[in-house]
Amino acid sequence: MYFLNKRIVSDLFKDTMIPLLEIRNLDYFWPSAEIPVFDRLDMTVSEGAFILVRGASGSGKSTLLRLICRLNQPQSGTIFFRGRNIASILPSVLRSMISYVAQIPQMVDATVAENLLLPFSFSANSSKTVPEEQELARMLGDFYLDTVSLSQSALKLSTGQKQRLAIMRAILQHPELLLLDEPTSALDPESAAMVFSIMEHLNREQKMTIMCVTHSDYRPATLAAQTFRIENRQLILNAP
Amino acid sequence: MNSGIIDISAGNLLLAFIFIFIAQASSFIYHLGLNRDITVGALRTFAQLFLMGYVLTFILGSESLFLTVAVFAVMVISAMFIVRGRVKEKQVSYFMPTFLTMLVTYFATAVFVSGLIVGTTPWWEPRYFIPTAGMVIGNSMSAIAIALERLFRDLRQQRELVEMKLSLGANYREASEEVFRNAVSAGMIPSINAMMGVGLVFIPGMMSGQILSGTDPLIAIRYQIVVMFMLVGSTAITSIIVMLIVRKRCFGSGEEVLLTPR
Repeated sequence: MYFLNKRIVSDLFKDTMIPLLEIRNLDYFWPSAEIPVFDRLDMTVSEGAFILVRGASGSGKSTLLRLICRLNQPQSGTIFFRGRNIASILPSVLRSMISYVAQIPQMVDATVAENLLLPFSFSANSSKTVPEEQELARMLGDFYLDTVSLSQSALKLSTGQKQRLAIMRAILQHPELLLLDEPTSALDPESAAMVFSIMEHLNREQKMTIMCVTHSDYRPATLAAQTFRIENRQLILNAP
Repeated sequence: MNSGIIDISAGNLLLAFIFIFIAQASSFIYHLGLNRDITVGALRTFAQLFLMGYVLTFILGSESLFLTVAVFAVMVISAMFIVRGRVKEKQVSYFMPTFLTMLVTYFATAVFVSGLIVGTTPWWEPRYFIPTAGMVIGNSMSAIAIALERLFRDLRQQRELVEMKLSLGANYREASEEVFRNAVSAGMIPSINAMMGVGLVFIPGMMSGQILSGTDPLIAIRYQIVVMFMLVGSTAITSIIVMLIVRKRCFGSGEEVLLTPR
């Protein structure tokens, strides 16, 4: 049975005793592959956590994030969000609570403001408050995008600017879990440092739960940080 | 006005093959690689139309509802296989919903035009029902093939953009709205363009045929107006229903995009 409203899901299942995210016995195979990407994988994410996931190329880091927000479907196993099997939550409602930012930032052919406000046009986000233009302009500054105007074309921004804009767009939805897929892979060191700084700020100040897949050797300063490594189709906690 | 029509003798009919030789020579000289297709197409045109001629002669004489509907069903089945030949999609099954939609909407359109607008009695009068159905099927079939190809191509090409919208809380309809709109438009544009050019740029086949057989042009244009409107309407409704059903099939149970890059 699907839940039609995000607030209903949150109110019913927001229980501090229940982990924000729980993965149990997850198996995932690429179509027509014989060796699984994940073999009975388990994971628990508490509210307010800052999770880094590392691993070799092709180890399934991005797939893990995509499975959590149902952009891929596991062959077996269950993922619980606030104790509720995600398969029983309407996908759009689930994704209004869990925001996923892809490795390659995507923008529609419109202005920066229109791109930032795009999610508010979706029915699953209809109960959310649309931010004012002044708030957007202020947030651009917080994301080191002072030189970017709300009225300019988003497609003309650099990759680094688009990446920060994509994260900002996701955060405007106030997600309960933010999934970031290699957010700094296409960025120069300075832009990458800005993105990591934003992530830490969101986790520390806004208590946002963040799960970030990264190749970089970034070491978060926040105490809430946990680092996992995907090895042999399993997640290993506190990996270097 | 002369109500008779000049018969084309068998010898004169063979003269028409000169046009096929011209097409063959063009393909040969400029290495277009179309010689086989032109040959097959010409032979099929010849064989299929002769067969259709004999079948129609038999059916028009029999005045049988069963035979009329059977011919209609064969035409729709053939159209569906032509669509399948053009739209080579392996990951999403579109055959049955497309076929059923074509069957129902084309039948409804042909009944409406033949029985209500032209006002034949009975409504399935083969002389009107079969040509009407044939025109609807022929035009709408192309529209569906174009729309399906566009839908699958755009969803593959714009997969990351669609996933971005899904990731931000869009449902599959919201995430693929533009892809859907472009696919339906692409299918409908040829029949809309035909309305723009009819009578100015070209004289449609049906109207030409009626005039050649001695029908008053003022009666022929009425038929042609009905046909043009019928084609736009049936193309729109069929394309939209097929796209709505097939688009849903492009997404999985988690509203994830099922089409992967080729």
